[in-house]
Amino acid sequence: MSSPLTQTVHWDLTYDVHLGSTWGRFMQGLREQKILANSCPECSRTFVPPQAYCESCFVRTEQWTELPAEGDLEVFTVVWQGFTGGPKPPYAVGGIRLAGADTLLMHVVTGLDFSDPSTVRDQLPHGSRVRAVWAEDRTGQILDISHFEPAG
Amino acid sequence: MAQRAAVVGVGITDATSPRKQTRSHLELCQEAAWAAIEHAGVSPAELDGVVVGNIDGFEGTVLGGKHITRLLGLGTHLPMVVLNTGGTTGGNLMQVAARMVRAGTHQRVLCLGGPTFFGVRDLQSAINTNSPMIVEQPLGMGGFHMGAFAASAYQARHGTTVEDLASVVVADHQKASRNPYAHLRYTLSETDVVEGTPLSSPLTQPMVCPVSTSAAAMVVASEDVAAARRTPSALIRAMGTSSDPYLGGGKGDFAVMENLAALARRVYALADVRDPRAEFDVVEVFAPYVHMQPMQLEALGFCGAGEGIDLIRSGATDAGGDLPTNLSGGPKCTNAGVAGELAPYAYTALQVMGDAPEAIQVPGARTGLAHGTGGSFFQFENLAVFSQLTPQEQ
Amino acid sequence: MTNRVRPGPVHVVGLSCTPLLAEQDAVLDELVFDAVSAALSECALRKSDVGLSVLASMDVPDGRSISSGLTTAAAAGYLSDSYRLEADSGSAVAAAAQAVAAGDVEIAIAVGVHNPEHHAEDDAGRRRFLEQLSNLAFEPAFDRPVGMTAQTVYGMQAAHALHSGEVSLDDWAELSAAAITRGATGRRPGRSGPVTAADVLASAPVVSPLLDLMLPAPVTGAAAVVLASPARAARLLGRSAVLTGIGQATGDHTWTGDWLTRPGATTARAAADAYQNAELVDPGAEVAVVELSAPTPALHGPYLAALQLQGLAPERVSPSGGLASAHAGLANGIIRLLEAVEWLEQHQPRGRAVVHSVDTITGTVSEESTVVVVEGI
Repeated sequence: MSSPLTQTVHWDLTYDVHLGSTWGRFMQGLREQKILANSCPECSRTFVPPQAYCESCFVRTEQWTELPAEGDLEVFTVVWQGFTGGPKPPYAVGGIRLAGADTLLMHVVTGLDFSDPSTVRDQLPHGSRVRAVWAEDRTGQILDISHFEPAG
Repeated sequence: MAQRAAVVGVGITDATSPRKQTRSHLELCQEAAWAAIEHAGVSPAELDGVVVGNIDGFEGTVLGGKHITRLLGLGTHLPMVVLNTGGTTGGNLMQVAARMVRAGTHQRVLCLGGPTFFGVRDLQSAINTNSPMIVEQPLGMGGFHMGAFAASAYQARHGTTVEDLASVVVADHQKASRNPYAHLRYTLSETDVVEGTPLSSPLTQPMVCPVSTSAAAMVVASEDVAAARRTPSALIRAMGTSSDPYLGGGKGDFAVMENLAALARRVYALADVRDPRAEFDVVEVFAPYVHMQPMQLEALGFCGAGEGIDLIRSGATDAGGDLPTNLSGGPKCTNAGVAGELAPYAYTALQVMGDAPEAIQVPGARTGLAHGTGGSFFQFENLAVFSQLTPQEQ
Repeated sequence: MTNRVRPGPVHVVGLSCTPLLAEQDAVLDELVFDAVSAALSECALRKSDVGLSVLASMDVPDGRSISSGLTTAAAAGYLSDSYRLEADSGSAVAAAAQAVAAGDVEIAIAVGVHNPEHHAEDDAGRRRFLEQLSNLAFEPAFDRPVGMTAQTVYGMQAAHALHSGEVSLDDWAELSAAAITRGATGRRPGRSGPVTAADVLASAPVVSPLLDLMLPAPVTGAAAVVLASPARAARLLGRSAVLTGIGQATGDHTWTGDWLTRPGATTARAAADAYQNAELVDPGAEVAVVELSAPTPALHGPYLAALQLQGLAPERVSPSGGLASAHAGLANGIIRLLEAVEWLEQHQPRGRAVVHSVDTITGTVSEESTVVVVEGI
């Protein structure tokens, strides 16, 4: 079979993504090593990352609180095969329930021994305690939290 | 005046990898569209609308569906609607087309899904562009990485082993080996699956869908048009969609598909389905990653929590079982993006029409359930219930 | 061509629009939420009343693939029926209305949002980005490499029209100046006025023969409409208007040349369906006002003729100023509907209006056109 005829098509788009006031405030908090959450005035759920509105009650969120930089690792996966432009595998990404939050904060998780793929799940069982490690240089973005590591 | 809608024609092309595919995106779409029109027994001039799907960025085009559709040669100035809801685009095509017909303003609408993943060099990096920007995208997640979250949580909840997961893959490949339109038509052993290349724990390469190229199309028409055909059509008895929050973290519990369960209750109520296990003759779910099929079977009310894999292992979901599921081999063995998302609807409609490929046709199938899911962390779900509509007495 | 059945009427009970600004300091979903919650408030409905929400937006300006993932919950779609069209919001109105006419839902929402994830200092910068995206929406093997964009299409169509000798650049300058001036005194101006024809002719050349003030004024924002069945509408506060006819059509590809020589053909096809549904026999006599979406003055005449409204008095054609005053991308269709309904409320509470919208993604190439007939009650 002859090889199919293709043409290279490349996209090069640069964006300035609007943060808005809600995520803007969250990102400013990260610079100051604070994890800020907000809450729905009707159902009282607490969101981190914060939300401008509650999708369920369909009202604007109000009250802001600072959450501890520690929580339970509810779920994670180890990425053995990544993607172009992404982090270098293997790396682990997890869903963290910070104390007082009704949502999960997704972040990079460290402290795993990657030498044997079959053992990784047991190294950090469901509910393991993890804590945020702050980046040295913080610029107001999610990776101002460098990663979460096991909290002993 | 409001009227009922039915699927009266289906076209599916055969599938292969992007590397081996010699036909272009346009040629595949043309083949599927014309096959659906021919199967429906309508002429292109009789169409009064087209609903087409695309996922910008995955395809290297913006509104790719728009120019593809104009090149099909289906007449000028035909109303065309471009839909993009990510992984539910294919399934939602019919939701939009059916409403056009049900409103009474349209009689024959073509739904078209092309090979979305045809051309992109690194699909996982393309999929990362739909990861919630700013807060979740920088963490490095593509499609199967997001999928792996649920697999990992399901394992933790139910003690599921990798061998359990592998058994689902083995069953899917058995089914695909009989479907002439499937992409991966080889069979596998549990050992092959367990020892496959690790991708994102606990998923190995054989537990994840291939990147396929194919196209699919359907003609949705009014009940009157359907009843005038010589062979059965697939009446759309009920349908619906549902959405979770945007952020993966908003799901709360990755080990259970609550959004799908809620949608199923709503759609079953519309169709007056009371005992889903007994009432459906055939089911096609969109399960590109291995853990999804058992979790979906649970959410759809076919078994209890954590019992999905036992149900699959029991043979109930095989050909000849009481709940034949994904006899096409499902997206686990063929996934061309929008075409793959439309496939559960296309195959289920074919089954209740009695026109599925002979080797996978469920004898006497009259009621079927089709499902779709997608978006970041599988945020969106869609469902439809089909019933056989027999030709009018002449 | 087919035995069409007239759909049941669909009522407009809520309509709203965020402020239209050059750029919004907001995430897309916040704009959607603001528009949808304001439209629901108008008719005292809540999220749980909504049977279907249809969103119009596009991934590339939104800077995300599957951007509807972000915006669906804000469109009242959490745990309920919703989908997103990559089309002008006029198409979203049509899809939402179909769900009501089908008897599938009692309340449906359509919403359009436009706030490109791009920062620019001026309109020229904003257009440069939208033009880059437009180029990506052209056919990749032939049209894209040679630099086709919406503006190049509009420029060619205008040049072709001038060549016919039936119109002049001065006529267009008068049209654009009048539209900008009218819009500047309206509720949602994107350009300030008054502006004279001489000002228009003195503005910067953008794509010959078109000049800066002849092109749409790029603004951003979101707009939403709440639709209801007749029975449900009878028990609701809010707007009092009915959609009696909707038609849609999509134009032909580059290669046929229709986009150049018959730019009104798509709108004519959409109008034929809408007028038939609305039982509108003599549009010139029965329509009080039209909200037209002409991206350039060169399309003003062809679109009006396609709508059979060329006899309408000039002040009854886009009294809002139309796109020359403010153009909010895919949110446009619902904004035109809002302008038409507001005009009826103020001038002819029982009058009939025609709402015309087109997408401007690839100019008149593959153009989608929506025509809606709306009546005050």
